[in-house]
Amino acid sequence: MTAATVVVTGLGVISPIGHSPDAVAAAVAAGTTGLMPSTELAHLPDDRAGGAGKIPVRAWLKRRKDRKLMARASELALAAAGPALGDFSGDRVELGLFLGVGREPPDDGECEGALAAAAHEGRLDPIRLAGRGRDLYPPLLPLKTLPNMALAHISINLGVMGENGAWAGECGAGQRAVLAGIQAIAEGRCEAALVGGADSLVDLGSARDRLRLGHNGPPGEAAAVLLLESLDAATARGASVLAVLSAGADGEALAVPEHLTGDVGAAAVPLALVAAVAAGVEAPCHVHRPEPGDVSAAISVSPPHAC
Amino acid sequence: MDVVDAFGRPRVVITGLGAVTPHGVGVEAAWAGVCDGRSAIAPITRFDPTSFPVRFGAQVPDLPEVEDVPEAVAHLATDLKGRLSVLALREALEMSGLPALGDRAGVCIGSEAARPSLEDVAQRLNSNEPPGAHALARMRPDAPTRLMAAVAGATGPRSTVSTACTSSSQAVGEGVLRLRRGEVDAMIVGGVDVLVDPIMVTGFSLLGALSTRNDEPAAASRPFDAGRDGFVLGEGAGVLILETLSAAQARGAEVLGEVLGYGCSCNAYRITDSPPDGRGAAQSMSAALADAGLEPTDIDYINAHGTSTSMNDASETRGIHRAFGEHGAVVRVSSTKSMTGHLVAACGAVEAIFCVLACRDGVVPPTANLTSPDPECDLHHVPIKAARIPCRQAMTNAFGFGGSNGTLVVAGRP
Repeated sequence: MTAATVVVTGLGVISPIGHSPDAVAAAVAAGTTGLMPSTELAHLPDDRAGGAGKIPVRAWLKRRKDRKLMARASELALAAAGPALGDFSGDRVELGLFLGVGREPPDDGECEGALAAAAHEGRLDPIRLAGRGRDLYPPLLPLKTLPNMALAHISINLGVMGENGAWAGECGAGQRAVLAGIQAIAEGRCEAALVGGADSLVDLGSARDRLRLGHNGPPGEAAAVLLLESLDAATARGASVLAVLSAGADGEALAVPEHLTGDVGAAAVPLALVAAVAAGVEAPCHVHRPEPGDVSAAISVSPPHAC
Repeated sequence: MDVVDAFGRPRVVITGLGAVTPHGVGVEAAWAGVCDGRSAIAPITRFDPTSFPVRFGAQVPDLPEVEDVPEAVAHLATDLKGRLSVLALREALEMSGLPALGDRAGVCIGSEAARPSLEDVAQRLNSNEPPGAHALARMRPDAPTRLMAAVAGATGPRSTVSTACTSSSQAVGEGVLRLRRGEVDAMIVGGVDVLVDPIMVTGFSLLGALSTRNDEPAAASRPFDAGRDGFVLGEGAGVLILETLSAAQARGAEVLGEVLGYGCSCNAYRITDSPPDGRGAAQSMSAALADAGLEPTDIDYINAHGTSTSMNDASETRGIHRAFGEHGAVVRVSSTKSMTGHLVAACGAVEAIFCVLACRDGVVPPTANLTSPDPECDLHHVPIKAARIPCRQAMTNAFGFGGSNGTLVVAGRP
């Protein structure tokens, strides 16, 4: 079977350098940084962080009360996915959803009250955790911190039901997710898919842990989502083709420098793709976040006329 | 024997299986446990659960330290999740006889981030010091993937799927897709999870998702039964070695089974609730059947997700009927979670292993404790005792918090 041509027909982004693809492309072109001093990180050696500010997620929520279930990465993801999907008129039952996500907050910051109540003579006492700590434990915490929750909130609020996956743990998770979406469409398993990544590393716990792991650059947060379709499906519904994506490493290598956004983890590769497509692709280029064992994982971007 | 399937894709076969479950170390220990209808659910002994609303779980037995782990990743093998990973992997590798293939072998593991131990949290509360770098590295969701890749000498594509209870089902699926694409000759796939700890017991208790049958733990997990009241937290690991049939034949490997199809879907419904009509589950099962090129009547056994929660089991039942039509009342269905508890990120892999063994032995394991089937769960159950039936192809479902669904279709030796 001939592989389908995969095209980009929608973009969405929430980042420290803008909340729209055009704003991000302009900031990258101008070298405008989104890094700002963070009071939360004041006692760290570098107090700068790439925060995305207030996340415009309410417009995409089916039920406002669901926001209390959302960690920041989930809010970022949904607020980026909504504009990327736009007025997509295709079949959302078969629409794919492939997302790279960050790690859970490792220190369960929200249950510190419960843990503190469980402390006894310098130790944590499980009996106290189940006793006085239990009333302070946020009951929704397990659901907020599962890595696939960003995917879940997109699916629920935007009605996406097709093939899916959430990859976690490595900076290349977003790259893996985009490639999975390209492959699913190219191989005919779905005609369209939302692909991207979301990560938030700007809280004190995450920033501190990054330092412990030897990551000295400032932390950031972002979500970037692309709507991909087969060329045939996009043409059939009259969608504008913004770029062509494929696996490979054609042309110049692109990235959004970390001195503009901080480390945005699993969102890095999708953010670079959104910035490149929004800026207008005039010649083939590629993004690649090298990971051990992923030597063939680069993603090529070509101009619309390439198809 | 054709090395490509009816769609012209390379056939993906299984040459190694490995598991550590609450029934013990090893695939055969787990298989004997579930075929005997024996529950491994018991009072929690790892910590004092006296004051917890739930005081039982499905713990793995005490495990030895693992040795001969490459120095660069030795720090990832020191906790329970690391030991589970290495023990399951080594069993699968030994069974398979897979040589170190370098970049022609990849790894894809379903895993969630680990929780810090209470001791680590206490240290931070006392000193405002975060855990050390090694402890942080162990908590990353990709820690088991990195560890297994290093132990196996697999330097090919490596990825970690985190979709809660669907994680390892989707990890197996990703391995199948990579092999069909020709990216690699072999994939190490599976999942690992550890949930019997004070923080998780507290969190899931407060959600009201757990059975509280403290007086009779072995009877607590009762999928599809009218008396079910929630799931039971468990822990374990499952690993499968997948190869293309041509690669397995070329090295003279014994083929244990075949992965015929993979499908997945989202519910697009609610975070904790399943849609009552089972539509997302049905979509996942139908996608797996289509990927396998099979009809519903080709499936002889379904290892259900069957968590023992009121909502999941009824929704899954509707999903089976929706996907299977008339055959939904005929196909045998059981849930081994009635005996193993819920292994969450590991359940898809472990239950896929059970399906391979069901095809091998012509035996389908039962749903323990299924004494009063819920009329809402009108399936052809295998209650209490294993059933001996010819099992050509089997299906296993995994449905996760957040509404991710994954389904695999497997067969025995070609």
